[in-house]
Parts: sequence; structure tokens; C-alpha cells
Amino acid sequence: MDIRAIDLSATAGRSRLHGAAAGAKLASFALALTAIVVQHNVLVVAAVGLGIAALAVASRLPSRMVFGLAAYPGIFAAVFAFAAAPDPLTGSLFVAKAVGAALCAVVLVCTTPYPQVFAPVQRIVPEVVGDAMLMTYRSLFILAEKLDRLRVAVRLRSGLGRRHPLLAARATAAALGGLVLYALDLSQREYDIMRLRGYEGRLRITIPPSREPAFDAALVLGAAAVLAVAVWFRLAGAGLTPYSWLPATLGLLALFAAVSWRVTRR
Amino acid sequence: MTAPLAYPATGHDHAHTYGCDTVVRVSCVKHSYEDGTQVDLCGLEFTADRGSRVAILGPNGSGKTTMLFHILGLLTPQEGEVSVLGVDPARDWPSIRRRVGVVLQNVDEQLISPTVFDDVAFSPRQYGLPEAEARRLAEAALDLLGIAGLAARVPHNLSGGEKRKVALAGALVMEPELLVLDEPFEGLDPASRADLLGLLLRLTEERRLTTVMSTHDIDTVPEFADFAYVLQPGGRIALKGTPAEVFEQAEAMARSNIRPPVLAELFARLRDADPSAPHAALTIDDAVEALGRWKCG
Amino acid sequence: MSHIHIPDGVLPPWLWGLGLVVALTAVWIAATVAKRADVSRKVPLLGIVSALVLVSMSSEIVPIAYHINLTVVAGVLLGPWLGIIAAFIVEVVLALLGHGGVTVIGLNTLMVGSEMVIGWALFRLGVRVLGRRRVRVVTVVVTIVTLAITTTALVGIVALAGGGGAATRETGALDPASLRFQNPFGGGVFSLNALRGEAPALSGHAATELSVKRFAAVVYTLGPIGWVIEALIQAAVLGYVARVRPTLVFGGALSRRPSPLPVHAEVD
Repeated sequence: MDIRAIDLSATAGRSRLHGAAAGAKLASFALALTAIVVQHNVLVVAAVGLGIAALAVASRLPSRMVFGLAAYPGIFAAVFAFAAAPDPLTGSLFVAKAVGAALCAVVLVCTTPYPQVFAPVQRIVPEVVGDAMLMTYRSLFILAEKLDRLRVAVRLRSGLGRRHPLLAARATAAALGGLVLYALDLSQREYDIMRLRGYEGRLRITIPPSREPAFDAALVLGAAAVLAVAVWFRLAGAGLTPYSWLPATLGLLALFAAVSWRVTRR
Repeated sequence: MTAPLAYPATGHDHAHTYGCDTVVRVSCVKHSYEDGTQVDLCGLEFTADRGSRVAILGPNGSGKTTMLFHILGLLTPQEGEVSVLGVDPARDWPSIRRRVGVVLQNVDEQLISPTVFDDVAFSPRQYGLPEAEARRLAEAALDLLGIAGLAARVPHNLSGGEKRKVALAGALVMEPELLVLDEPFEGLDPASRADLLGLLLRLTEERRLTTVMSTHDIDTVPEFADFAYVLQPGGRIALKGTPAEVFEQAEAMARSNIRPPVLAELFARLRDADPSAPHAALTIDDAVEALGRWKCG
Repeated sequence: MSHIHIPDGVLPPWLWGLGLVVALTAVWIAATVAKRADVSRKVPLLGIVSALVLVSMSSEIVPIAYHINLTVVAGVLLGPWLGIIAAFIVEVVLALLGHGGVTVIGLNTLMVGSEMVIGWALFRLGVRVLGRRRVRVVTVVVTIVTLAITTTALVGIVALAGGGGAATRETGALDPASLRFQNPFGGGVFSLNALRGEAPALSGHAATELSVKRFAAVVYTLGPIGWVIEALIQAAVLGYVARVRPTLVFGGALSRRPSPLPVHAEVD
């Protein structure tokens, strides 16, 4: 979970998806996620996941990071499936849903700077929660850097190896102890700064205007179409189940096309 | 007050006139910290007059940051008095906060908002200015610092020099009368340092900003400051005067663990070797001129 | 077991919806309480402690890939109300990173929030009973008890999901005999039988239910390993802070004097 790498991808990426309006991406994310939630046909869920994967590949997102992040909840879903699912097919549905939903979220945050993702949430939650959320975002980078330095220092000074779990845990605990103190001092300094700069409550975020409204519209319409298909398959039930391979094949083709496009336009 | 000494000009117009329009005054302030450390900012009185650029020098632990924190009202003096723009900042900070701009030592911690533009617009928005006015002020500050191109960037991806410029834009956005800088050149490479120094000189000249700066960077003091204060360990204000006046007092400087700028040391050694050598020149231009005159007899 | 790694769409809508409503209500009440005094001090504190929990989660213990949560530490530092808000912030960020489902943000907030609240309450009780010199022992016991309670709550959630008809799933199963996809259910998703407390109409196929017993067996077998690691690390962290700055541990992060040490905690 390298938050810095995600942030870099979101802020430095130049694809059309990166340039799309945050609102359009959030709406598309919500629609695609709903499609995954309502659909209980493993092949249709897989199709949605494949479509999102195609979008990630076409947007030149760092594949290892994106798919690694999306796979992480897949591992937990597999454990959950092993523990709770009545049969392998239901288990595979759990994993497909976990990976698909995570892929949705990861593609959103890898193409949209955090402030823009948070802006709508910040507006609807109480002031203290919204402002603290934005402070969390800024502090994450300061603390992550500090933890890296503390870890290296602890390791160098104690000569602790990385491979021994107990020693590694001890080194991590020592670094975290230092980090807690640093973090609390930091919160005091942030308070001072906010006071000096006139903080009165409610941080505001500027949302940049859309660069390509047509692309935004296409994105939302595409996501709406995916949801419509998912709902259609769900409502139609048995009638459409024999054709479940169709969306999955389409998703595979989209992914293949995206990979070919990325390779040829390297 | 020490008597002004007859030293050659260092290239600045030393317009510092004691007490004519004092913006900052710190009179024998004492402060003890939670861990028992005691800082007594006594000895000489600290003042900064309107339009002057004042540097605070001193070793680690001498109380430079403590002095700035008192000026900013972040600490309440247990003894002594602090006056900034005519009020006690610890008590009445809200009444003067729009008139004071601040850049603290670790600018990373100072940049609160998620994007550069939002950070520069932070104060105008918090002061309740209409959004259009806040945006206008932020854009003007970004233009002033030449960083309009960074507006949409996130602060943590900027270089050290860029972060400092963003913090400075945030400090100047409300067009303050007093600018407080804590170690503004720390951690900058020589090119960024020269860039920031030039920028600060231009801005403070143009806007006639009163500037109080704490620094370890001795070489920037002759170039930037009209007036300098030297603190000893424990906080005692031991010296004050123009940079030339202060740097001539080698023994007192040594007691404060401060080594004078290279040029001052060079001229001191020249005078040791040859009493006809010129008095210290603290900038390269002045040194070239003084040495040229000396060479020509 | 700090947050639920149950994917979106596995729990029935009434359950995650109810979780969301309860969590948002708790966050709203907590925000109202927090706003009563000194809010400008609480905002950076909340932001930074939430970031601290997130950063600790990104720090894995190599080579066993266990990530730490620091929820009890955060609870002790923040207290119950701010703890609930921090839990919500952490879960929103984690959901956006794909680390926890978006629909289960509410349930996850309640789980992590309860860890902070229970951890805070038990820690205070433990220190009162065993004394301030036993911070490490108290933290180990409190963390294990807290995690055992929240793990049981997690099993309860799965039981709620698995016990009723709402947990039944169609899977679009491929029948190996006929090589045809079968549809176990005739009912549509928007019929929301679960909300009416009815089982979905089945069309001659077996309903699939979550196996609560097996789930409980797995989490109660694997869980204690995590509880112990977590307890030892949180004890080391709180013990360290208690030695260096006892007021933070025994009085909470807001107990400090408003006037801080200067930048970088040195008199410069």
C-alpha cells in the first residue's frame, strides 16, 4: 500500500482518464461498483473487472501497482471464501467481487488526485470530519517519509535483520514509537500554523474544470451501460444465464485491445 | 544601546532609526519549557522598525525560535514584554494576524492544503473574503513569486525551493506589513538559496516589508539584513548593529559560537598582516572595490 | 481482525446499509461533541492520528506479511469520540485504496471505532487497577481482549449475513454435465426479499449460505496469532510513549499544554 506511488500516478499521469472531471469519474465509479454489488453471476462480475482492467491498461497506469493493490483484498476474500463459502463457485464469486470492486477504487484513486476524490465527501460530512480528512491526506506523506527514515535508523543502529519476524517486529515497534511522538508534536505544530494562518474552520478545495466534457459524458454513459447490463442479467435471471460468457468475452477482448494498444504505442 | 561605529557601508541603505516607528519590540522576555530549559531573551532590547530587515543570529539553543514564537504569539512570556504592531501578540493575535506573514522552518508542515493554489488561498478564505477575491489574491501572490505554474500541484511533490516559495506566497497573500522568517535558507542548495535571497530582497524592497529573520546562514546576513542581533546560549541578546558592526566584534561573536562570514575573516587577517588593508567588506562587490582601491594605493 | 476484508456485495444490503446508518450517526454525534470546544486543536490531531494508523497499516512485518493497526494506541491518544471520527476517516481512505469494501465502510467504521473505544476504556480501567508502571502488561491484555471482542463481533456479522435468506447467492454456475449456465434463482435483485424478511423464491436449485461455523473456526484459529503480534507491538509503542511523555498516555493527546516546545522540539 504505497500511498506515495498512488498519489504520483494520480497527479503526474497524462491520460484522458486522468484529465476527466473528478465528478464524472466518481459517478462512473459508483455505477461500476453498483454493477458489481448487484450482480451475482461470476462471469458478469468478471466482465466488469476485465473492462476496468482494460481502462487501467489503456490509461497507462502502473500495472504492477494497480493489479497488486486490487489483488490484495482478493487474498482476504479467498480466505473468507475458504472459511465461509459453501462451494468453490460461491468462493470464486467472493474473490471476483473483491478484486473487481478494489480495481474500481484503485483506478479511481490512481487517476484522480486525492483532494478531488475527497471534495464531495468533505462537503457532506461534518466540518471537523471533512477538515481532518484533508489533514490526514497531507500528513500521510510527511509521516510515511518519517517512518521510512526511522526504520532505516533503527535497523542501522541495532543491526536488526529483515528476515527474523520477532526482530523485525521489534524494529517496527521502535520506529512506530518514535513516529507516534513525532506525529503528536507535528499535530501541535500544525495547530500553531493553522492558528497563525487564520484557521476558522472548513478547508476549501478548488475543483479544476473539465478538460473534455465529451469524454466525461462518454465515461458516465459507459458505466451506466455496464450497470444496465448487470441489472438486466440480474432481472432476466435464467433467460440470460446461458449467455453469461458473452460479457466476459467482451471484457477479455477489451483487455486484449488495451494491451495491444499500449504495446504498439509505447 | 551601543554607539554606532564608523564602518564602511556594505551596499545597503541602513535606514534603521531606533524607535521612530517600531513594529516589533521584545523586552527581556523569559520563558521556561516543560523540560525545564530556561530561555532569557534579556540583555539588549530587540526592536524592528518599519521597513527594516532584521536578522537574528545565534547558535543552537540560543532561543532564536523562542524569540520568533513570542513575536508570533505562540508562546506567552512568563516575564517581560512583547509588542507587535502595537499589541501583545499572545493575547491579541487575531487583531493583527492579517498584518503578519510567517514562513516557519519546516515548510512541509506549513503547507496545510492539498494543492498549491488552495494553500495560498487558505488565509483569504479563512478570513471570509468572497471566493472571487480570495482567488484574485492567491493568483496575485503566485504571480508575484513566479510560481503560477505550480498552482494545481500537490505540495509534497515539490522541491525544497518550490515549497519555500509556496509557503512565502501563502505568507504574502494578505499583503502583510511584517514578515517573520524562521531559517528560510536551511536545506536549500546554493542555486535555490540565491534564488530565494534575490526574491526576498526584491519583495521586501518593493513592499517596504518589515522582516524579522532567524538564520544560521551567516553569509546571507550582509546581503539581506539592515540590522542584526546576536544571541548567546541561554538567550542573552549580546550584540546588535548593522552586519558590518556586528561582524567586526570577533570576540563577542566567538562567545556566541558564530564564525564571521568568510569575507570578514579574510579582511581581518589582511589587516593583521598589513594595517593599511581596508576594513571588512561583506559583499563580493564591496570587497572587489575595496581591494581595487587598496591595490591602487 | 481489525477491519473486515469482506468484499462489496457479499453481505446483504440491509446489513451493510444498517451499518452505514449507525456508523454515520455515531460519527455525526462524535463530531457534534468534538465541536463543542477547541475544535481547531482537534482537526490537526485527528488528521495526524488517522494518518498514523494508515501509515502503520502500510508497514508490514516481513516476512509474515502481517500489517499493524495501532487502533488501541489511537484510542488511548484520542479518546472515544475522536476515535470514532478517526476510524471513519481511516476506513474511507482504505476503501478508496481498495483495501476494504466501499459498501462496508459503515461496518468497518463500527469495528475499528469499537476497537478504539473499547481499547481506550479497558486501558484506563487497567491502569487504574494495575498502576501506571504496568503500561505494557495492561496494553497486551487490553489489546488481546479488544481484538477478541471485535473478532466475535465480526463472526456475529457473518452469522447475521449467513443465517437468513439474504445471504443466498446465485452464481451463474456452469453445469459440468450439460455445459450450460444455470440460474439458481428466479427473483430479481430489486425484489429485495431480505428487506421483507422473506427468503428469495428458489427455482429448484440449492441456495448457498455462508458457513458461519467454518468461518468462526478459521478466525478463532488464525486470529489469536495476529492478536498476540498486535498486542506486543502496541504494548511496545505505548510503553515507549509512556516512558517519554507520560501525559499523552494517561491524559490523552489533548491534555498537553497549548504552548508547545518550539519546532523540532528543541530550543533553537
